[in-house]
Formats: sequence, structure tokens, C-alpha cells
Amino acid sequence: MSIAQIAQGAVPAVARRAAKHDWLSLAALTVLAVIAVLALFGTVLAPYDPYELYTGPVNGVAGAAHLFGTDDLGRDIFSRALVGAQASVFAPVVVVVLSTVFGVTLALTGAWFGGWVSGVIARIVDLIFAIPGLVVAVLAVALFGKGLMAPVVALSIAYIPVVARLSQTAAARELGKPYMAALRVQGVSSAAICFRHLVPALVPIVAAQMAIGFGYAMLDLAAISFLGLGQQPPAPDWGSMIAAGQAGIIAGAPEQSVFPAILVVVTVLAVGIVGAKVTAWAEEKDR
Amino acid sequence: MSAPVLEIADLDIFAPGADGPRQLVFGSSLAVQRGEARGLVGESGSGKTLTVRAVAGLLPEGFTTSGSVRVDGRDLGDMSAGALRELRARRIGMVFQTPRAHLNPLRTIGDFMTEAMIHVAGDKRSVAYARSLELLDEVGIDDPGRRMRQHPSELSGGLLQRVMIAATLAMDPDILLADEITTALDVTTQEEVMAVIADLRAHRDLALLFITHDLALAGAVCDRVDVMQHGRIVETLTAATMRRDAKDDYTRLLMAASLDEAPPIRAEHVAAEPIVKIEELRKTYAVRSAGGARETLVAVDGVSMRLDPGGSLGIVGESGSGKSTTARVLLGLERADSGSVMVAGQDWGVPARGGRERRARAKIAQMVFQDPYQSLDRRQSIRQCLAEAIRVHRPAAGRDAIAARIRELMGHVRLDEALLDVRPRALSGGQRQRVAIARALAAEPMLLILDEAVSALDVTTRVEILTLLDGIRRDTGVALLMITHDLTVIRRLCDHVVVMRQGVIEERGTAAEILDSPQADYTKILLDSIPREGWAPRRRRLGRTQAMPAVTRSTIVPR
Repeated sequence: MSIAQIAQGAVPAVARRAAKHDWLSLAALTVLAVIAVLALFGTVLAPYDPYELYTGPVNGVAGAAHLFGTDDLGRDIFSRALVGAQASVFAPVVVVVLSTVFGVTLALTGAWFGGWVSGVIARIVDLIFAIPGLVVAVLAVALFGKGLMAPVVALSIAYIPVVARLSQTAAARELGKPYMAALRVQGVSSAAICFRHLVPALVPIVAAQMAIGFGYAMLDLAAISFLGLGQQPPAPDWGSMIAAGQAGIIAGAPEQSVFPAILVVVTVLAVGIVGAKVTAWAEEKDR
Repeated sequence: MSAPVLEIADLDIFAPGADGPRQLVFGSSLAVQRGEARGLVGESGSGKTLTVRAVAGLLPEGFTTSGSVRVDGRDLGDMSAGALRELRARRIGMVFQTPRAHLNPLRTIGDFMTEAMIHVAGDKRSVAYARSLELLDEVGIDDPGRRMRQHPSELSGGLLQRVMIAATLAMDPDILLADEITTALDVTTQEEVMAVIADLRAHRDLALLFITHDLALAGAVCDRVDVMQHGRIVETLTAATMRRDAKDDYTRLLMAASLDEAPPIRAEHVAAEPIVKIEELRKTYAVRSAGGARETLVAVDGVSMRLDPGGSLGIVGESGSGKSTTARVLLGLERADSGSVMVAGQDWGVPARGGRERRARAKIAQMVFQDPYQSLDRRQSIRQCLAEAIRVHRPAAGRDAIAARIRELMGHVRLDEALLDVRPRALSGGQRQRVAIARALAAEPMLLILDEAVSALDVTTRVEILTLLDGIRRDTGVALLMITHDLTVIRRLCDHVVVMRQGVIEERGTAAEILDSPQADYTKILLDSIPREGWAPRRRRLGRTQAMPAVTRSTIVPR
């Protein structure tokens, strides 16, 4: 987990600096588009059957025939990475979208009504916050069986507090600004104030949080797969591939772990850069 | 006389820009003699603050200068970084507009006072402590030992500003650079701070460069005054004779703006039913004291007032007087504890329940807020902003009808239609306030509440907006409820005045009665505190040196 945490911490700072350069955010966007296409059409594009054993030598070196080499069972790593992309990329997207929708809804409710409503929401959020996401995910797997569904749902819930707290603070501050009072005095309806004025004001902070959340989710899901609790073998997934390659690293054949690991890092970084760009753009509109 | 303490010669200041540097200050030159008080007067954007910041070495990053700044005859440009820092630490003292923003809220006043003495001058802690007590005493702070243990949040703005002044005196500077130091303060507090500065100048051989937008104030406390406009010093005058000597048009405009007392024309309205009738209004807040104990802060206590349709009422008071709270209760932004609020014959004692009631009230009363920078949604263009305000009351109106109404409103507030598609940040303060007024007028209200609507504006802009409001009042017959701390604003626009202090009404009457023959002591002090020709700041009584409990601004929580 230490590597995961370092990568998580590094994303925002690196990404924020990178987002200042247009070519970099463009490059990041391109990388994301490529990864999305690969994830969508991975099964079609894969040169080999990802499950087929001994397509080449065991722990084969990367080369023309096998772009990323072959693993300890002689399976083509490139094909496995392509097919595994679907689970590895889309599962975090689902986590981020779900946690953002629920988190922002809770935050808006709390900030809007204030008083005891906000207190109750804050306590619920505290309660969820008290339990580490990874532990919830492991627990969910233990309860509902192995596979991607349980950890995705568990992480979605586990990420709600971060989103909720962040956006509730932002929403409460925004509601306290004079222009919100001005809108009420004008007689603008509550729905219009909320969706036409309050929600757009939260875009920069929520977008930034989504990008960071994606990184976290991807790394957490990879960690769950790494523990053997997520995607089940022989189905490929970047996290489980990294885990399965441990023996190979010691044996002097790091391909099986290294290539999926590079994909994880590149994806997280690219999302971070694009997220920072979206935030910068929304903040520009904000001034 | 020896060399001037501070001499600025042909100072140009350039801001970095996308297409090369942009010049903001053009060849400004001025000299401050030993012990002299020099005023630098101008409106926002005139370059006065940049000039003084160049002296203190506080220009924003990327700014460049040419010309020379000499302190005691030594050119700052020729000095090494170390010597420069030493000079700025010891010879120049600077005080800013917002003392609270310049103090670390987590450190005590004592930490702040002794820091420079211990770390820059290398004094012993006990010596620094004793010296701090002396300095606080010198700026007229009671019980300095207790103040040393307090945090900035426990002190009022006026006290904090004195602390800042005391801290700059620690190094015995030759010159004090004061940048709008009283702008954020109430008039009576302003007078006290100015009295402190006058005392200091009498006891020390202290020169002063006093930056302000208030020509009358500069004239009253300085020996000579430079007037700056668009980055140029347009005129230098001797304070005592400035009203006679002023030749420049801009200086004359500033003088007229700050001292205009032309009474507005008004018709006597005799109406059976007042549009606003407030009786025995009381509003308290539950607050926690520094020690964590529950306390009740009475913001408004037994206030009654009435306003006739088409009339205009001014509520005057300093911060913490409850004047803004009264308006917020009136508009349903706060809930009153007791008392009645009747507007246009309806009971508005409780905030509107639901959208329909709020829209109905919006049709009757509208408000213009103090800070036009914050009362407009920064993400909306002016067109969107006005369209939204119009649609609230005409949900069925077509695109053309709304466009026509927008044009009409822009005409009312004399704004160019070319500005419709820009967002607020591209507008000046005056233009933004015009947009805010147009937005308020969109509902065709019977009552317009102006909460310090002109106090954030430059003096010349202020006159324009007041003239505009006067015109609108005459054209539309809207009643005005004007909340202000500035008595000079009242005379232009109000028939009746209510003077509030600490939640209660001190005096009420017609504008002429209040301004020309005030009865209450507090009103007299308020009037006396306004800088004018021949005015000298004095220290006052009436418990003003005590930190007054300021009304905590609660966030409005919509329900």
C-alpha cells in the first residue's frame, strides 16, 4: 500500500503543475482516449486469447511476437492487459461517479437545510469515514463473495465522506455569500438558486475531487485484486496481474508485474492532469 | 532643513502583461521632509498604493520600476539586498488598511509586538516585553499587559490598527507609510486613530506619508497633499489652503464629491398607510464567548420606525449598531425574536415560507447590497443576471419581451448595452453597483433597501450612484430605505433619519434636524468625527475605546 499512497499523494501536485502546460493536458487527454478505446475494444484487439496457456515461452521476454512478453504460464501479457483494462478502468469510473452523486447530494442537503439536518448528515458521514475504505471492501467481499461488484459498491460508499465533506464546506461557504442573499431577495426559486448558482459554483472543487478519487479508486481496486479478492483468476485485471508477477520479479522476469503497473501509473496520472485542467478551467470561469 | 526623509523622483511602475509591461504609475515625484505629514490622495486604480508599495519593496511579483526612491538621501536602487532589508526594517514603518489580515490569528498581540524586537534587533525577551508595553501605552491602549495576552480576534478593528502602529514604532522609524489605515473603520474610530497619529507626530520627529481616498481627511491631518489620478500626480497643494488653491479639475471634483451638501428636492408625501412599519423589533443572537460560555448578543433592541410610500428613510449607525440586522429582518433573511414588521399592510414578521410568498415579497421590496463585487454571481453575464431577475416575475415572458425589458433597465441605470455580455469581473465597482440596482428594479418594487450601497465605491462614483438613485426615486416613486454609516450620504437622499447605536435608536428626525441641530450626544459625536476643513482629530469618550461587541455575521441558511 505504501507505493499506492505515494502515488496518490503525488498526483495532485504533479498534475497541477502539469496542467499549466496545454500540450501536457492535451497529451493526457489523448492517453486517456487511447486507454478508453483499448478498454472498450480490448477483447477484439487482443492478438492472443488471454486465457490460452503457453502461447510462447514461460516468462518470455518482451519482443515483436509478444509485445509485453509472456507470463509464468506462457500467456500473452499484452492481451491480458488489454482485456483486463475493462475491469481496471471502468470499475474506478463507476466508484467515482456513484460516490460523487451521493456525496454531493448529501452535501447539498446538509448545506441547504443546515441545523439538525446538517448535523445528522455530518454524523452519518463521520461514521462512514471512521472505517477505512479498503477494510469495507474486504469485508464486502467476505460477505458477498469474490468478484468486482462487492468492492466497487463498498468503495463507492467509502468515498462518499470525502466528497460530502469537501462539497458541503464549499456549498455552505457559497451560500453565505451576499449574492445568494441577493438571489433570495429577488424571489428566485430555491431550485433555481441551487441548480443554476450553487451547483456550478461547486464544479471546480468536485471535478478536482473526482480526478483524485479516480486515482484512489484505481489503486484501491488494484490493491484488492492484488490481495486476490477482486477480479478472480484466470480473468485478467491489472491489479491481480501485478500480484501474480511477484514470483517473476524475483526470478528476473519482471514483465508480468511491470507493464500493468506502468498502465496503472499512466492512467492515474493522465486522469489527474485532465482533472486539474478541468478545475483550472472552471476556476477561470469563477473569477 | 536637511535632506528629505523620503524622496521619490520620476518613479514609473510597470505591471507585467501578456503583450509587454503596462505602465501604471507615470513619473511620480514627491518628497517628504523630516517631521512632515504628506497626503497622497486618489481613487482606486490611481497608483497611490503602488507608489507606497514601491517604497516599502512590496510590489507584486513581476512589477518593475524606473526612477529613484531615496531614503535619507540614499538611493534604494544602489543598495544591497541586506542593507535594503535593514533599512526597511528600521527606518520605514508601514501600516495597512486591514490590520486583521496582517496579523496571525493564532499568535497573541504580545508575540506580534515582540517578534521584530527579538529577531531583528536582537533584544532580550524581557526588554522587548517592557518596550512593547510602553509602545502600546503610547498609542493609547488601556491595560497593555492584558492586551499583550489577547489574540487579534478579541480586539476591535480600531484597537488592532493601533497595535499595528505601535509595532511599527518599535524600530523608531523616521517615516510612517500609512495606506488607507482608517478606511475600514467607523468614523469615530477613524478619528481616534488619527488622533493617535497626531500625538505621535507631536512627540516624535516622525514623518508621515498618508495614503487615502478621502481628500477632506488628508487635508485635515497632513501638511501637504498630492492628488493622484490615473497614475499621475496631478496637483500638489498645501493642506491649509487647498480649497482656495486647487486648480486641477479632478481635485475640484474630489472636493465637491466629499463635501457636497446640495439638498435634494422632495415632495411631501402624506399617506394613510406607511409602506414599512416596524414596531418594537428585537433580534438576538446566541454566541459563544472566548471562554466558551453561551452569551446572548442583542443586535436590535426595541426598534420602531416607519416609512411612507415614496418617502426615504436613512438608518445611520456604526458597525454593530444593528442597522443591517434590521434590514435583514425586514427582508426575511433573518427571523425576529419579537416585535412586528408590517410591509405594505402585510405581516412580514417571519421569513417567507415557500417560493410563492418569497416572489410576492420580492415584488414589493428589493435590496441593493454593500459590496457589488460579491452581490452578483461571478459566473453569470450581466444579461443572464438581469434576465433571471425579470423571469422571476414574468415567467411567461418571451425572449423579445425580456430583451426589451433588459434594455429598458440598462437605460434606467445609464449603462451601455455593450456591457451586457461581460461578466461582473470586467466591470468597475460603480458599473457593478448599477447592475445591482437594475436587477433590483427589475421587479418594479415599491421599496428599495440600500444596505451601505455606496460605501464600497470611490467618492466620484458614489456621487454618480447617489444622483442616479435620486433620479430613479423621482421617476418611479419608489420608497428608499437607506442604511449607511456615512452621514454625508443622508443629506442627499433622505427625508427622515434614524440614528442607531448598539441596537437602539438614539435619535430620530428629519434629515435637516439631525444634520443641522442634533440633540443626542452620539449624533453630535458622529457629525464631529467627519473630517472637514479646520477639523482636528480628538480622542473621545462615550466608551468608544472599549472593544464594542460587533454583530457576528451569521451565514444565512435558507429554509
